[in-house]
Amino acid sequence: MKTDWAYSRRSFLGVAGAAAVGIASPASPTSKVPVIDCHTHAGTAGRLMDPWTTIADPGEILRRNKEARIDQACIFPISHDNFEEANQEIARIVKRYPCRFIGFAKHDPVAEKGRIRSMLLRECRQLGLRGLKLHVTPTPEVLDTVAELGIPILWHPGRVALFAPVAEAYPTIDLILAHLGSDLSSDWREHMAGIEMARRYPNVYLDTGGTVLTRYLEQAAQELGPGKIIYGSDEPEVDCRLEIFKVRMLGLPAEQEASILGGNMQRLLSKYNGNAA
Amino acid sequence: MKRETRQPLVVDALAFAGAGRTWASPEREVDYNVDLLLERGAAAGIDRHCVMPPRNDTYAEANRAVARLCEKHAGKLIGFAAHSPQREAGQLRQALVDELKGMGLKAVRSDGHPTRELMDAAQEFRIPVVYYPGPARWQQLGRYYHMLATAYPAVNLIIPHLGQYASLSWPAHIEAIDLAKRYRNVYLDLSGIGSFKYAELAAADLPAEKLLFGTGAPELDPRVGKEALRLLKLAPEAYAKVAGGNILRLLGGR
Repeated sequence: MKTDWAYSRRSFLGVAGAAAVGIASPASPTSKVPVIDCHTHAGTAGRLMDPWTTIADPGEILRRNKEARIDQACIFPISHDNFEEANQEIARIVKRYPCRFIGFAKHDPVAEKGRIRSMLLRECRQLGLRGLKLHVTPTPEVLDTVAELGIPILWHPGRVALFAPVAEAYPTIDLILAHLGSDLSSDWREHMAGIEMARRYPNVYLDTGGTVLTRYLEQAAQELGPGKIIYGSDEPEVDCRLEIFKVRMLGLPAEQEASILGGNMQRLLSKYNGNAA
Repeated sequence: MKRETRQPLVVDALAFAGAGRTWASPEREVDYNVDLLLERGAAAGIDRHCVMPPRNDTYAEANRAVARLCEKHAGKLIGFAAHSPQREAGQLRQALVDELKGMGLKAVRSDGHPTRELMDAAQEFRIPVVYYPGPARWQQLGRYYHMLATAYPAVNLIIPHLGQYASLSWPAHIEAIDLAKRYRNVYLDLSGIGSFKYAELAAADLPAEKLLFGTGAPELDPRVGKEALRLLKLAPEAYAKVAGGNILRLLGGR
């Protein structure tokens, strides 16, 4: 589906012109590290039952990103019946705003069984996508392909405990636990489990997006240090301006804050070794 | 100095004090630190917090604890009682007489669906009722307010969290906005909203008189609630109402 996005690209011409996939210049002149939102949905879907099965308008997201001084956002599809099509839409949006968005694919390892390797290789090598978003537990087919490409997985599991066997079996894959383990802090015990998971496995990181109970974000920062925490919002359902405020509210030293807001994600993204076409 | 006196009062319409269990499920034992509330509230530029007890099996001691804190921090805290209309049936009126007149509490939070006994007392004492039906009733928010709002038009009802704590079910926000639009006596508190766009929607759809700034502190960080208020980008007159004018008006009616 073609969508005429409301946002004018002109606003961002100041930073346009970089390669199709790259890290933008920081919006803040004093910051050396770009601010990257690791968790943003974009595009359209057809079920029209919830906001996340209808539309996530990149124009609105860009407006809020600009206000929050976010340089780039990792974008991936909303809930969709055909992720191959949805990932193509993501690639088109990234092509339109190459300095502002980094495209991630989204797949269902069960429903798309047997086809994922070829789709993901194509999506990374030909369409320029640089990560994978999952809700369903990844299968060896998915994980072997991800390891080959050197891309991170942002995974929102049904339960945090599902991370353990994957993190252990694939120590070279960077796994980002969405929502610090509990979307909208619906179960604080999952935040605790998420912090433990990140403490236990060197390759597990925590995405900050949609953490309502910010005490667990504070706890994660205190106990794990900034290297294990990655800023994300879950735009457009969760407002990036408030989510980034929660990180800035931690009052960390500038270098540590910069790691959370972009440095860590930048490092994970730099591991891509799948070669672009 | 002149400029400071023109700043609208910022009054947090929903905060907690004392010991008990979280109102949100899954429950957690809590003993809320009033110093942290006041410290973070002050950092956020909040002048006063309306505080109520966390969830308890019985509320007599919890309400007394709130009253003591309000006395200790006079000018900073406004106390709300909490009661279970079901577990305390037959005792509510007298309990409220003691708490409102003897201890200076100003409103009541209903732990469970308000009964005629509670609503009659609220009407008699002209206090607002804070009532949140809870997560098991997400899909039927309207059912829990239509009768209350129509049977007791003189009682002001405050729906916390814009109808849905943490935005766990977005349609409840829409329903809450519609309730506030329909009933003169229904007001929405803006604390603990996960999906801020619904607060923006409420601000666009409703007159400023219907919205109350709230934080859910110290369970939630009051600085986040205050930042959300700022992001609503209200015109000065509307800001003054939402930030504190509305809740003070509702409390001043008694």
